[in-house]
Amino acid sequence: MDNDLMETEQRHSVAELEDLAFELRSKLLQLCGTYEGAVHIGGDLSSADIFTALFHYGLHVDPDDISNPTRDRFLLSKGHAAVCMYIAMSMRGFFSYEGIVDTYGLLDSAYGMHPCKVQLPGVEASTGSLGHGLPIAVGMALSARHRGETHRVVCLLGDGETGEGSVWEAAMAARSNELGNLVAFVDRNRQLMTSFDGERVVLEPYPDKWAAFGWNVIQVNGHDMGELVSAIDRFPATDSNRPTVIICDTVKGKGVDFMEANLAWHAGSLNPTDLARALAALESGRTHSSAAEKETV
Amino acid sequence: MPVTFTFGEMLSARSVIGTTLAELGETHENLWVLTPDIGATLVEFRDKYPDRFVDVGLAEQVCVGIAAGLAYDGNIPVVSGMLPFLSMRALEQIRTDVCYPNLPVKIIGTHGGLVGNGGSTHYAVEDLALMCALTNMTVTSIGDPAMVGEILRQSMSMTGPLYIRLAVGKSDKVLYEPGQHDIRIGKGIVAREGSDVTIFTHGTVVAQALEAAESLAEDGRSVRVVDMFTLKPIDADLVVQCAEETGGRFVVVEDHLAYGGLASRIADVVVDRGIHLTAFERLGIPQVYAGFGGDEELRDKHGYGLTATIAATRRAIAAKP
Repeated sequence: MDNDLMETEQRHSVAELEDLAFELRSKLLQLCGTYEGAVHIGGDLSSADIFTALFHYGLHVDPDDISNPTRDRFLLSKGHAAVCMYIAMSMRGFFSYEGIVDTYGLLDSAYGMHPCKVQLPGVEASTGSLGHGLPIAVGMALSARHRGETHRVVCLLGDGETGEGSVWEAAMAARSNELGNLVAFVDRNRQLMTSFDGERVVLEPYPDKWAAFGWNVIQVNGHDMGELVSAIDRFPATDSNRPTVIICDTVKGKGVDFMEANLAWHAGSLNPTDLARALAALESGRTHSSAAEKETV
Repeated sequence: MPVTFTFGEMLSARSVIGTTLAELGETHENLWVLTPDIGATLVEFRDKYPDRFVDVGLAEQVCVGIAAGLAYDGNIPVVSGMLPFLSMRALEQIRTDVCYPNLPVKIIGTHGGLVGNGGSTHYAVEDLALMCALTNMTVTSIGDPAMVGEILRQSMSMTGPLYIRLAVGKSDKVLYEPGQHDIRIGKGIVAREGSDVTIFTHGTVVAQALEAAESLAEDGRSVRVVDMFTLKPIDADLVVQCAEETGGRFVVVEDHLAYGGLASRIADVVVDRGIHLTAFERLGIPQVYAGFGGDEELRDKHGYGLTATIAATRRAIAAKP
């Protein structure tokens, strides 16, 4: 047992996780149709499966005891995906979805475009400025190890975000301090805000960059729940001496065909017509993949 | 055991930092010390508490980020380094990762002002303006080397961030006799009493202001010197009191840009409190990249050395109400 939270937790099957990811995407689109302003829908959809795998399988957390010292710490370094995290956390029991959808972005709401620890206890850090989450995660991992605690510190980054130099300062610090209790997930959706990876910014050879900094590198299809679960099952022991990065190959806008790999949908809002289209596309994608699954079985 | 100091002796603030942190490490098991490769004076702490000492190498941004992560988890991190780099390279981490969630991270460093002859890459001359702009930040600038230990001790119970600015910190005069002054974060120190004029100052030029006051005393002038070592929150009541007691005559001398530092903080109090002044002399670094030279040479060249301070104080005293 890694810690006492694990003993009480029920872990979901891959099929259940896939249903939860569908629900997360649906709720995300509903919010996008309700809120008047723009939502970072592209990067929310690319990371929706990762959030689901973490909050419903990988992370040992307790919504009823958010300060439990043995909890895993989750930091959203790509803070613009906050709304996807809020909804994933609401589905895990941290917040109410109605509370999010009714107040998101409004005056005095705790639910803003980027997460704020002061306004929303339950999130672990105030993030949003890119390249800041991983350094903070390194500090939390150092603290945990020093106290002999066995929880993990898990940080989700966007691949575009890793253009920030501070990410690589943190990568070096994590290796130098032998933080086996630190795991980074990278949402490798191959899009920045205004260009595709390789057009103006070349991130490849991407896994080699992390390997060169001394990290364990695991590559998965970030939309394949089986692969995500398997990567989580292969987390090294927290007292091991190398940090781990899970590079998740993803598609920006995943699940809604007209948003997928489309620069126009980095952020946006949905009018009633677009919302209906998006929900239909999501449903059709799900039916399609279930049918394909049955065929392969 | 706190080290004791003798009034008037020369002392290294850096060694005081090292000794004090090692002492506090014993009483505060959650005290961490972090540095971007500026660790020579931190050796005692490093050797006593290697698990709570982090040298990240040349990487100021992650140094402050790690400190934030440690503080989120209930620790008291002290980041020690050179201020031109901590205050600018890591400015956003200080602002967003430390000040925004109001974490008890202390930033302490050297090279505040035109000191050390490193050139403008190595002079922190904008740092107080930058730090004073940050919500939740407490900002100090310390000249008396013995005081550094006292401020670090007081800071252990602070719940928010603190910035401590030093000059070079290798050898400075102990200015205050132990027990003679109430040294508290947020309170200015009346370093010398006087009734004709007040010189407000901080950091390495406090000693120079005292020398100017001594020199003017020989001509029968009564010059008050206030070590306003806390720039934020500023001791506004003391500013009001000095206006009343020294004829509304103010001189501000500082080793920082003349606009944006202490002079600006005091000018804000003057306006906000509706104080009527007879004289306001502002001495500090003009809008130039200052060049090379000895500390005193640079102060003289840029118009805030001893001679200029004496002249400005005379002007303030002579000003007609």
